[in-house]
Amino acid sequence: MSVNRRHFLRGLGATIALPTFESLLPQNALAAGKAGAIATTASGAPLRTAFVYFPNGAIADQWDPKGTGTNYQLNNTLKALEPHKKDFQIYSGFEQHWGWGHEDGAGDHARANSTFLTGVRATKTSGADIKLGISADQLAANQIGDLTRFRSLELSCDGVRKAGRCDSGYSCAYQYNISWSSATTPMTPEANPRLVFERLFGEGKDAAERQRNYDARQHQERSILDFILDDAAQLNKQLGRNDQDKLDEYLTGVREIEQRIEKAEKFGPLPDPHAPTPRDDIPEDYQEHIRLMYDLMAMAFETDSTRIATFMLAHDGSNRTFKQIGVPEGHHSLSHHREDRKKIDKIIKIDRFYVDQFAYFLDKLRNTKDVDGKSILHNSMIVYGSGHKDANRHQHNELPIILAGNGGGTLTPGRHVKFNNDTPLCNLYLAMLQKSCFQADRIGDSTAPIAAL
Amino acid sequence: MRPPQTPATRPHSFFAAIILLAALALVSSPAAAEPNPQQAALFQKTIEPILVDYCFDCHDDASEKGSLSFESYESLTEHFDNHDLWLAVWKNLRAGTMPPPEKSQPSKEQRKEITGWIQRQIFKVDPDNPDPGRVTIRRLNRTEYENTIRDLTGVDFDATDAFPADDTGYGFDNIGDVLSLSPLLMEKYLNAAREIVAESVHTEGPYIPTIKMWGSNFRNEDKRQPRDVPFEKSDRFTNTEQIEHAGEYEVRAEVQIKGSSEATSHSANFTLLKDDKPVLSRELGWDFNKSVVIRGKVRLEKGGNNFTITLKESEPPEENEKHLDLYVYTIDLRGPLDGSHRVYPDQYHAVFTDGPPEDNTASRKEYARKLIRNFADRAYRRPIDDESLEKLVAIAQSVDAQPNRTFEDGVAQAYVAILASPRFLFRAETQPQPNNPGKIIPVDEFALASRLSYFLWSSMPDDELFRLARENKLRANLRSQIDRMLVDPKAESIIDNFVGQWLLTRNVQTIDIDPRRLTGERNLGKAFRIFSQDLRSAMRRETEMLIAHLLKENRPAHELLNADYTFLNEKLANWYKIPGVKGSEMRLVKIDPKHKRKGLLTHASLHIVTSNPTETSPVKRGLYVLDNILGTPAPPPPPDIPELEEAKEEAGHSASKRELLALHASKALCASCHERFDPLGLALENFDVGGRWRDKDHGAPIDPAGQLMTGEKFNDVFELADILSSGDRRTDFYRCFTEKLYTYALGRGTEYYDIPVIDKIVANSEKSGGYIREIIYQIVESPAFQKRRGDGDRLAAKN
Repeated sequence: MSVNRRHFLRGLGATIALPTFESLLPQNALAAGKAGAIATTASGAPLRTAFVYFPNGAIADQWDPKGTGTNYQLNNTLKALEPHKKDFQIYSGFEQHWGWGHEDGAGDHARANSTFLTGVRATKTSGADIKLGISADQLAANQIGDLTRFRSLELSCDGVRKAGRCDSGYSCAYQYNISWSSATTPMTPEANPRLVFERLFGEGKDAAERQRNYDARQHQERSILDFILDDAAQLNKQLGRNDQDKLDEYLTGVREIEQRIEKAEKFGPLPDPHAPTPRDDIPEDYQEHIRLMYDLMAMAFETDSTRIATFMLAHDGSNRTFKQIGVPEGHHSLSHHREDRKKIDKIIKIDRFYVDQFAYFLDKLRNTKDVDGKSILHNSMIVYGSGHKDANRHQHNELPIILAGNGGGTLTPGRHVKFNNDTPLCNLYLAMLQKSCFQADRIGDSTAPIAAL
Repeated sequence: MRPPQTPATRPHSFFAAIILLAALALVSSPAAAEPNPQQAALFQKTIEPILVDYCFDCHDDASEKGSLSFESYESLTEHFDNHDLWLAVWKNLRAGTMPPPEKSQPSKEQRKEITGWIQRQIFKVDPDNPDPGRVTIRRLNRTEYENTIRDLTGVDFDATDAFPADDTGYGFDNIGDVLSLSPLLMEKYLNAAREIVAESVHTEGPYIPTIKMWGSNFRNEDKRQPRDVPFEKSDRFTNTEQIEHAGEYEVRAEVQIKGSSEATSHSANFTLLKDDKPVLSRELGWDFNKSVVIRGKVRLEKGGNNFTITLKESEPPEENEKHLDLYVYTIDLRGPLDGSHRVYPDQYHAVFTDGPPEDNTASRKEYARKLIRNFADRAYRRPIDDESLEKLVAIAQSVDAQPNRTFEDGVAQAYVAILASPRFLFRAETQPQPNNPGKIIPVDEFALASRLSYFLWSSMPDDELFRLARENKLRANLRSQIDRMLVDPKAESIIDNFVGQWLLTRNVQTIDIDPRRLTGERNLGKAFRIFSQDLRSAMRRETEMLIAHLLKENRPAHELLNADYTFLNEKLANWYKIPGVKGSEMRLVKIDPKHKRKGLLTHASLHIVTSNPTETSPVKRGLYVLDNILGTPAPPPPPDIPELEEAKEEAGHSASKRELLALHASKALCASCHERFDPLGLALENFDVGGRWRDKDHGAPIDPAGQLMTGEKFNDVFELADILSSGDRRTDFYRCFTEKLYTYALGRGTEYYDIPVIDKIVANSEKSGGYIREIIYQIVESPAFQKRRGDGDRLAAKN
């Protein structure tokens, strides 16, 4: 059956990725780490890559470190990271070229989001012809996604979306997604902690029940998948080209479920995170929500459920208020501060709030032991950054970017690196992705991998 | 119904398509004849001069901005055939994005001249035979999924919780091109299918029934029920229960102990007796107010069985301790335990309409086929083909044949497959020659039924629509069906979804507003109680109910803007300082001019969704009116806009919003757009962030007077409402409303070929008084709603 299906999928055209080879790669690094393999550290532990996006930039005079190299000083906004100073490096001078308007006019927030991991120009449209490019995390997932239960994990704290139009003629898809598996398919992030947990570790009150539910489900799924693939094939024959493109998205999804079933058989029993399922609702308290999401990302890494994650704290242009830290105004409205010091001070509070949460995440990763006895943080590469410098004037250069983790001992954390002003941010990603052992020569508008990693 | 496809017929139609395409290619490849002299003269004398005046600055051969030049061309034919160029011109002129604001602007008439010329000369739009356009296959969005599942299975599924948010295009979340399907969502669809079937299809077989004796069935000597019985008042309650099937029963009593939230030593003995023999007994004491479950077993006879509850105090409370009370909820009798009598739940018969299956393979197969066909016909919203049906029957049978699985499990499995199928998840319409843009056909009656039901109900067709479609009579009865559908409670969907997104009322309850600033109340809890979710909900309902009223009573659309009545409850009326409205129910209230309300422009819903958390935004309010009332959205601001901060420095810090905007707009770069929306927004400054009337902002008096770009002058928001609801502006509003509704109904943006159709609908509405229902009729009767065509570039195929 599966041979036929592959035939059929191939017949449908380009967008469906088929597994290329039965792996010589470690099937599960936790079980059998093999140094030198892709997405694996020298000591045989999984090498994780994550991208965390914070909205609306940061006030530069409180973010920019003083001095460069290892002998630098953290500025006020980053004070919460002081205990981790040896665990991360700060980069100054990165740019997202296609964040700027060029001939596309307004819509900087949509572009800040959409270019962040893709480095390409978003087609300005509110509907019909969305076109961006594959994002860095998904390029990596294409290479190493097979090694883990999940290709990648996409998280966000934006649960409710506004009705109406998004930013200045850009489709909302650009603004609510930073991860794109192709030029036209955003990887929708999940905002509900419980659903993230159940997706990773199954549904049920304890590990045994989760495993039982999972096994029963795998079994049923097979016959259903066979039917719906046939059904889709039959429908596909009767559709025009555009409709077929839409149906391809469906087929890609079905194919992924199939791969997951195949994978599940390969990977054996579900991992047990030794944590309860989060409660049903999205927490009202923003800090609690963010931390829960960070916890889940940490659990996913610890159990080697995936090695790639993206987390958009909020979309760029987010107008969330922060009453709990004394900022009742909306973040976006404030970000157009017109150099009003009162407003700037409030934004700084927000910037620090986000950094505090990131510090919590780093703590967590540093205190969690990996299979090789090092910390998870040691065996990770985690970008924390924004697509705006300071959203007041919508600048897309001199971006605030941090790279945390030691890449399994291959990075040089503990310093501040300053670049010439228009170094493409994708050059950083290119270097990172090459580090996780895959051959790539371009991501978006990258020109060359940065040397200082 | 689509005939089942056999392999033998496929190559046939395939070749036919190839031949047709080849024929089209032959017709279209050599250039058509040079335009005739009149056409050429029109272009050179009227059109080209406008292009030279307003476009050549950037789009001549020397600058060629955006790699686009109008200057030189080989021949007029070649120039006219450059469809991409003219489409870009048409789109930019219509959206007002070109020429850019800092350049000199063509007049409205000149813009119209060019767009009209492009429609006629380049796109050869034929008003008598319009291109219906093409709607991309549409995935059900979250609302449609929820409603469809409700109507199909009766299950209340929460799609908002289960699925990621749908992306929007052209302001709506039902646009085919934009509704993508990520792998994550596919996974969720499969999970949802399973969950929904598990909830709606009972697969466990018959079970031993439970008889409930409610506490309220019992009475003491004073005819009182065992509710809040003080422990110290030793009491007896009796009940006689009629039992049909004698045998051993399991008894489960659920009681609650009330009276004290702190520990007390008060206790009593609770006993249930049957014919004075104890069945179960428990010493009850203080237990955190939780309910206590006591179990036992008893033999019951056919006929009346006498039960008695006794309560007897064991230990009194200490001094200073509180007294306890007993509350009996229910005593359940489950049996007979030997299983000699079993029943199916009601829900079982709703799905398995002929009852339990017979014990013979052939009749089980026939039964499964009948059930699956019925379900699939409704889920796919058209009759299922035999080939797919047999596959589903095979799935059901293979499950039925497994050990420990049942017939019901098999049918359930087939239902899961149906709910995960693309024919359920997508609203697919098929047609012959799907890639021939010249092939225009009326959509079949089943597709029409779905178009209608998803437009008005955001859900699947009901039995009557299906019946008419099967009998091929829907097209002949459209207006009466629309009338019927609009009075159905399901029509609430078009208010929620269309109005919710058009007038942004969906955002009223979620948009971030600082309640302390708004109410002047320093305590956050108190501020939230004043500016409560109830109040916000009333604000949303005010606007939605006004439209629902216009729709139901078939009132003119422009009454939205000048109604001398509105919908209020006590909370909202108090907020507006309108006396005499009592209670939480929203109702129609006549408005006196002194109450400062008149139509949508004075609704708090509008004011809230266009405000920043702590202050009003005249710019956002102006844009709202341009976008949603006048249908002339302003172009996005140019890059590198000079900042209001500069204006603020010039003006000094005490400057009012009007002064700030005036300074900002004094720069030519900003003026051309700000002139369009500033006066509209400033006219609404009399309403604060939360929609309450105010005469002053930060101590300075508000001056709402202004003038529209089109010349009309007004002194306040009420005069503005009159201007917008009469004359040419009213026509603008009809057009705006029609375009929005048209987009929502079709699930695609409006294109150049829709313009003549929309023109006609607007003209007819003008003539007939602008009745909303009339506009709905006309949209449903329009070619785009009634017909479809093959995919591809229709112009290339036509020339």
